[in-house]
Amino acid sequence: MSAAIDRLITAKAGGPLAPVADDAAFLRRIHLDLVGNIPTSVQTRTFLRDKSAGKRSRVIDQLLASKTFAEHWTDRLSVMLLERQQLSQVPDDEWRAYLKKSLQDQPRWNVLIGEMIAATGKGESRAAMRFLGKGNHHRLTEDISRLFLGRDLECARCHDHPSVDDWTQAHYWGLYAYLNQTRLATHSGEKRSYFVENLATKKVEFQSVFFDDQEDTGPRLPGGKEIPIPTFDEHQGFEKPAADGLPAVPKFRPRERLARDLASGRNNLFVRNSINRFWKLMMGRGFWMPLDQAHSENPPSHPELLDLLERQFVAHQFDIKWLLRQIAFSASYQRSSRLPPGETEVEPESYRVAHLKGLTPEQLLHSILRATGNEEVRAQESTGEEKFDRRGYFTGTNTGLPTAYADIRTIFVETFGQPAGVPEDDFAPGLNKALFLMNDRLVLHWLQPRKHNLASRLAQMKSPDAIAKELYCAVLSRLPEEDEQQELSTYLEAHPDRRRAGLSDLIWALLTSTEFRLNH
Amino acid sequence: MPHPGSTSCQSPFHALSRRRVLGLLGGSIGFGSLVQPALAREIAKKNKQVCLIWLDGGISQFESWHPLPGSQFAGPFRSIPTSIPGIHFSELLPHTARIAHKISIIRSMCTKDPNHSTGVPRIQRGDPIDRGVDYPYLGSAVAKLLGPADPELPPYVWIKPGNGGFIAREAGFLGAEYGALALGDGKAPIHIHRPESISAQQDEARQILRERANQRFKSYRGSSEIDAYETSYRMARQLMARKDIFDDTRIDPGDRERYGSHPLGRHILRARHLLESGVRFVKVNSYHWDTHSDNFNMSQRLIPQIDQPFAALIDDLDERGMLDDVLVVLMSEFGRTPIINSRLGRDHWPDCWSLALAGCGIRRGAIVGNSDRDGVFVDGTGYDIGDLFHTIFSVLGIDPRRKKYRHKGQKLAIAHDECGPIREVMT
Repeated sequence: MSAAIDRLITAKAGGPLAPVADDAAFLRRIHLDLVGNIPTSVQTRTFLRDKSAGKRSRVIDQLLASKTFAEHWTDRLSVMLLERQQLSQVPDDEWRAYLKKSLQDQPRWNVLIGEMIAATGKGESRAAMRFLGKGNHHRLTEDISRLFLGRDLECARCHDHPSVDDWTQAHYWGLYAYLNQTRLATHSGEKRSYFVENLATKKVEFQSVFFDDQEDTGPRLPGGKEIPIPTFDEHQGFEKPAADGLPAVPKFRPRERLARDLASGRNNLFVRNSINRFWKLMMGRGFWMPLDQAHSENPPSHPELLDLLERQFVAHQFDIKWLLRQIAFSASYQRSSRLPPGETEVEPESYRVAHLKGLTPEQLLHSILRATGNEEVRAQESTGEEKFDRRGYFTGTNTGLPTAYADIRTIFVETFGQPAGVPEDDFAPGLNKALFLMNDRLVLHWLQPRKHNLASRLAQMKSPDAIAKELYCAVLSRLPEEDEQQELSTYLEAHPDRRRAGLSDLIWALLTSTEFRLNH
Repeated sequence: MPHPGSTSCQSPFHALSRRRVLGLLGGSIGFGSLVQPALAREIAKKNKQVCLIWLDGGISQFESWHPLPGSQFAGPFRSIPTSIPGIHFSELLPHTARIAHKISIIRSMCTKDPNHSTGVPRIQRGDPIDRGVDYPYLGSAVAKLLGPADPELPPYVWIKPGNGGFIAREAGFLGAEYGALALGDGKAPIHIHRPESISAQQDEARQILRERANQRFKSYRGSSEIDAYETSYRMARQLMARKDIFDDTRIDPGDRERYGSHPLGRHILRARHLLESGVRFVKVNSYHWDTHSDNFNMSQRLIPQIDQPFAALIDDLDERGMLDDVLVVLMSEFGRTPIINSRLGRDHWPDCWSLALAGCGIRRGAIVGNSDRDGVFVDGTGYDIGDLFHTIFSVLGIDPRRKKYRHKGQKLAIAHDECGPIREVMT
């Protein structure tokens, strides 16, 4: 499959391709993409020394099998699916544990999505119900369409889409008809809520704001057949009677049906949208962009490749790791982000040069902690005594430093992430982000020598060359160039009276450089 | 050590660009006597500023600028006389009615798009002819065409509820550096203060190291992401040097009362301070004007929140001698339907709606255009958003017929080619 990816990308390149990235760039990229962190200085040096064939493939397989893979992709999928919204009563820990478990071994995308759509809250599906939020029918119609079919149908609620001919109001209401029987009901004994479905007795009616005609539809996927709503004799429509404050369970449950019909190999909108989203996460750009604009006037850049991936992804039973592995093995993924000689600009959809990807807030935090040698922060738990006053930290009334990892993580997400409900962005530099990295007391604290962190290690080294090597391997995951070594030793010579502060300056400058802030 | 450039900057441009100083000079010994007329004209052009107040979702023209009491679709509110003889506003606008002779109202806006998602960007971009590029929003356009009024301050500041940050997407093809600095709830970015542990000298030294690292990374790539990243640091440092302009303790309690304590009042007062400090373009956003249901109760609650600070802003700019140079635009992406729906709401109505303009070459007390008897369609010439953009650019001293953007070697019109300025509203 990787060879086919390269063949089909090359066939449409339309110009010279960038060469394969060097080992250091490859190692950093694959670590960030698969496990969400830069490699350690030791990992980088070991990989650069390793002269054996197949070392890249081995790293890819090791990372895919590692525990940190599931952790990182829990972050990525959680942000993709919830867009950092709280949405429901399911606690964050439970939701993350559920995703993490699903991502170990052989995670199947259709199974995962099917579970979330069909979740009732009983047993194992308790955590999965978080995606359904409070069961708002319009929110679910719009999110399911956008996230799983690549169609932002919001406009089509009131009329056919004004600028996309493929998207009709009937598509919106057909999806809605799968969901409009769903509601939360509280179990009288347990005092917890479950998702239940009412008995569907008629189609959903809708009307365009532009026309007078009343239309109706039963559950129907875009491009699919409408499902007839079954009729039953009185009281015959239920499978189980009402009990414990929960209503009777109807025989016909359209939401459960949606989980089956939507997250299926027979639904090519779902399969293609899934591939596009994973491809974007790895390659930095989807076959079509924006991700939620899948329609005939915005065709994919590589239709043949998409067709092939579609067939193969279904044949491999929606195995996420299989898909990521095929992409990671390809030369197209492993290409350098440096322009081919003589080129000043390339068409982004050509993939001739690797795309620069911004680090997510989580990748950035974890990479800063690893680079500066402060990884023990990730194990720091909340003392539980007093809640850290985050708002005060930002307004200046709280002069303490956060210690709990959970608080620190939230600070990074609030500073570097999108607001809740907004899809994750591409690299978006911001004035407030620059101010944070320049002036945040916690970040500056990590640059002070303590225990065995980077500042302390560098302070113990005598030779500028050794300092430069360790600094560049730890922060930028590569060896320094000659001019960079020179710059470092000149800088230290120019500040003989403040050597420790000078070392902090040097770490800070690399941490805040574009090279660090991007996954290149 | 003082922060470089904070209060110690003595450059004449800097001093002149500060509104406070200008107002003082004008009021005491007369501006004209101090400088040569030609220079005065040049400085005047440099001092053109804009305040765009955006009521997101669509204010109802019937409940504001264009009440039609007794007509078929009138709501429950009365109309009241304004300071322009014979002209009435809704009774929800008593403060603005008092200063109506200082502003202009256009009652014959006729735009096209009835959807929010396409409506807001389309309107704020001025709907130029589609050239296959992402046009900038008005604030970014002015930031590009006029540059910063004060080189140390970001040219485009956006005051909005919720989160702040640097919002590059409004700049479209102009590139990230023309994006908006957004002040969440009007507050300065949180990390604007440098900790004491870093001296100004050390900061300078470490920034040089960072810039060099970026240059090396860029030399093989030439990517706009890298430029945008560098821009964010440059702006951060400039802003740190001028952080005094966000100081809440400088706000006069009397002003706070006149503008109102609700977000729109506080944000418009903050906008005045930023204009006085020399920010070229300030946008103030208010949300939740989309009154599909319960239009009348919502209007009764919302419209006073714009009435009070808008009138105060116009009065203050006028008193300070700034109104001749500061253009104030108060608008939404469309108006609301004449027909009142079953939920007592009014829906989106682009066919005939109203907006308010003031200052900077806008006539005082002009009421432009009219609707048919029931406020459904425009009676006579309707104005599209392109016409408004021609007007805005013209009063700012930019000729929209001659001035072009250059993008990848292509010349692009700054406003819709087939539109023109609304002369009736211009002095």
